Amino acid sequence: MNQMTLIPLLPLLGFLINGLLGSRLPRRLVALVACGLPAVSFGLTLGLFLRLAEGGAPFTETLFTWAALPGFRLDAAFYFDQVTAVMCLVVTGVGTLIHVYSTAYMAHDRGFSRYFAYLNLFLFFMLLLVMGKNLLLLFAGWEGVGLASYLLIGFWYEDPEKTTAGMKAFVVNRVGDTGFVLAAFLIWFFAGTLDFLEINAFFNANQPTPAVMNTIALLILIGACGKSAQIPLHVWLPDAMAGPTPVSALIHAATMVTAGVYLLARLNGVFLHAPEAMTIVAWGGALTAFAGATMGLTQFNIKKVLAYSTMSQIGYMFMACGLGAYPAAVFHLYTHAFFKACLFLGAGAVIHALHGEEDMRRMGALAGRIPFTFSTFLLASLALCGVPPLSGFFSKDEILWSAWSAPNGSPALWLVGSVTAGMTAFYMFRAIFLAFFGPSNVPLLKQQGIHEPPASMSVVLVVLAIFSAGAGLLGMPGVLREQFGLSAPFFSFLSPVFAPGATGEAGHGTELVLMLISVVVTGAGILLAWVFYGRGRSLADRVRRGAGPVHELVSRGYYFDRLYEGVLVRGVDRLSEEVLAKRVESALHEGTLVKPSEGVRATTRLFARLQTGNVQAYLLYALMGLALILWWGVAHA
Amino acid sequence: MDKYQFLTVLSALLFTMGLAGVVVRRNLLVVMMCLEIMLNAVVLSFVTFAVRSQTLAGVAMTFFIYVAASCEIALAMAIVVLLLRHRCSLDLAAHQDLKG
Amino acid sequence: MGGVMLLFFSLLAVLFTVLVITLRQPMRAALSLVGLMVSLAAIYACLGAHVVAIFQVLIYVGAVMVFMVYTIMLLDDRDTSYRQVFSRLALPAAAVASLVAAALWLLLGSLPSVPVPAEGGGVSFTFSAFSVAFMRHYWFHFELATVLLLVGIIAAWAAIKEGSNG
Repeated sequence: MNQMTLIPLLPLLGFLINGLLGSRLPRRLVALVACGLPAVSFGLTLGLFLRLAEGGAPFTETLFTWAALPGFRLDAAFYFDQVTAVMCLVVTGVGTLIHVYSTAYMAHDRGFSRYFAYLNLFLFFMLLLVMGKNLLLLFAGWEGVGLASYLLIGFWYEDPEKTTAGMKAFVVNRVGDTGFVLAAFLIWFFAGTLDFLEINAFFNANQPTPAVMNTIALLILIGACGKSAQIPLHVWLPDAMAGPTPVSALIHAATMVTAGVYLLARLNGVFLHAPEAMTIVAWGGALTAFAGATMGLTQFNIKKVLAYSTMSQIGYMFMACGLGAYPAAVFHLYTHAFFKACLFLGAGAVIHALHGEEDMRRMGALAGRIPFTFSTFLLASLALCGVPPLSGFFSKDEILWSAWSAPNGSPALWLVGSVTAGMTAFYMFRAIFLAFFGPSNVPLLKQQGIHEPPASMSVVLVVLAIFSAGAGLLGMPGVLREQFGLSAPFFSFLSPVFAPGATGEAGHGTELVLMLISVVVTGAGILLAWVFYGRGRSLADRVRRGAGPVHELVSRGYYFDRLYEGVLVRGVDRLSEEVLAKRVESALHEGTLVKPSEGVRATTRLFARLQTGNVQAYLLYALMGLALILWWGVAHA
Repeated sequence: MDKYQFLTVLSALLFTMGLAGVVVRRNLLVVMMCLEIMLNAVVLSFVTFAVRSQTLAGVAMTFFIYVAASCEIALAMAIVVLLLRHRCSLDLAAHQDLKG
Repeated sequence: MGGVMLLFFSLLAVLFTVLVITLRQPMRAALSLVGLMVSLAAIYACLGAHVVAIFQVLIYVGAVMVFMVYTIMLLDDRDTSYRQVFSRLALPAAAVASLVAAALWLLLGSLPSVPVPAEGGGVSFTFSAFSVAFMRHYWFHFELATVLLLVGIIAAWAAIKEGSNG
């Protein structure tokens, strides 16, 4: 058992302790176990990361042979390379912070130990997902995080609406998982292996046919879409906000939903040889980024705004993956984890201060009341909007630059990305103006209770805000690197994993211009938000009335839910009720059960006559049997 | 036909008659006697084969058959007494309860 | 001489068997059964298996028949089985039994006759030979048999006891 195996096992240990004994332990001890073990995991990860950063080779650890067939061998093995290192650091680091935050947030909840048990279980599965050396182990983690997500969304199980949301997440993810499993089958069929390194090496050396490659890539994409809430499988994410807010921060913003991006990056060997599928990934990502941002424009629930924003940002990451700019995707994943976690936790602090109020129409003027929460929230928002020199600016800009310059990128793709960036700025500052400025709409009853979060929550907010601000400096864009002679440690760290993407001809001059444009767009978005919501809200109301059906369409999430409800759910209902239940089943029942059973009953009635209860009759039957056997012997002698 | 074949046939004949007796008689005691006839037929075949093969295994087996027969008679007599007390009849036609 | 004796006792055995099956009085049937046992013992003696012959007389004619007679003393002759000797199944049973007998006759009659091994070459079925072999090879089975006997006696006792209660 070495250092690497301990990383995922420690949270599992925490799950076992808190899950089995938690209800009998004092809360302090539960919290200590729940936060301490992931913290140790984080320390171990950090140690491995430093050894990698010094130029060490990726670590591999085989635990045991899971399955051994002739010509095929499957190990339960962990693999720790640069991408895994980034993912692990995010998962354990942000995860530990959110555990600490939760000790205060959930302090008065009856399911305190259950909550931490689930959260540790999630960490275990997430680490299994990112550290698994082969597709099957990844899939085990993949399903496990789905389970943990389901459990945590429906954490307050007394509320049927919340359990329904949990089930929805689970069911929608099943659709994606089907794609994942089919892709794994195809990969095994063609490559004969499930190990990531071997898969990538195999497909780099020989490709079956373009059609096969595209099919595999698209099936993987379906799986990734399910987990990462991309169109058309995004419908579960807004509902998933039913869970406790720290859960939304950890699972539905920072870690689990980015598993799809991790999967695409891991299997880059497949995608690089499926250019058509790559284009679909890029445009699908762009579409999700755009649609998510538009849906975010109209929400009033503060968590739903952030949920749609998450969806939109992951769309960016998918776009980068589709363009072959995997380092940019992983970079955005990494910065996004900080500022989105900070935003969610800030929103959690607001909700906490208002005793569970999530609707921004019943907030307002909070900036003066809780200035500390407001300042971290503002900082993280600026990072998300991409205001230089905060982290979001660098990572988003890297993706936009790829959209322009990558071989299968185009100005159209860049345009979609930039417009989305503008909308991002708009909806974030709309939220800020609604929640923190303007007249106070908080009911009088709750006015008294507004308070700054306790220390354990504040510390976490500060740490995350610092990282939101500074994390981007690790990955300066190319033009600035050349200008100031800086290095980009993030990209050079990742360079052994990903083959260097081809850069376009567009020079650094263009890059600088595009950068300026995006800053201007962001500024415009913020300004527009001020015009609509900062000055007074009459204009916003007028525009909303003017837009009418369009506003309705967007605020209802483009009717995806209603479409699925009407077509799929209703369709299956009708099929099973009208056709299968009424026609097929009754006929089948009559033919295969009722009629034969009548026949059997008639026959038994006949034979039951033989059973007289007289011992001698039974002996006579035995005698007859003896006679038959003997005469059979005579006949065959 | 040598004497061993003859005795084997005799044993089969006695066995069949015993079985027929079990089926045809009404009196429970006589039925028990017919069961004894069947057992004796089996013993006869064992002895016949033992003598023919000049081994002691068959003879040892008869000893165990006697033990089993003694046990069986002890139990059967107990049951006969009970049935008699219950129905006041030894007629098997009066005891037709052996059905589900 | 031996052959004639064998034939005689075999005929006697068959005769007694028929009597057991057909006689109305259980007491007479029991006496016929004693006759059958004795005939069989005689057959064993003719075969040279004196051990078995003695067992036969001791156990059956001695012990088993005592049981029988004891039970018969419990009877009264107003029982329905006295008036009607045969059950309703008598005719079909007799027919099937004759079929079985015929089949056995055909099957056993067609067996090859093996030459009898030379006299004196094999084991002699004396008490000493039997006892030595028995205690050497079958001691464990013997112990088991005694346990079985014990269990049988306890079971009979328990059956009577439980039956009288219920």
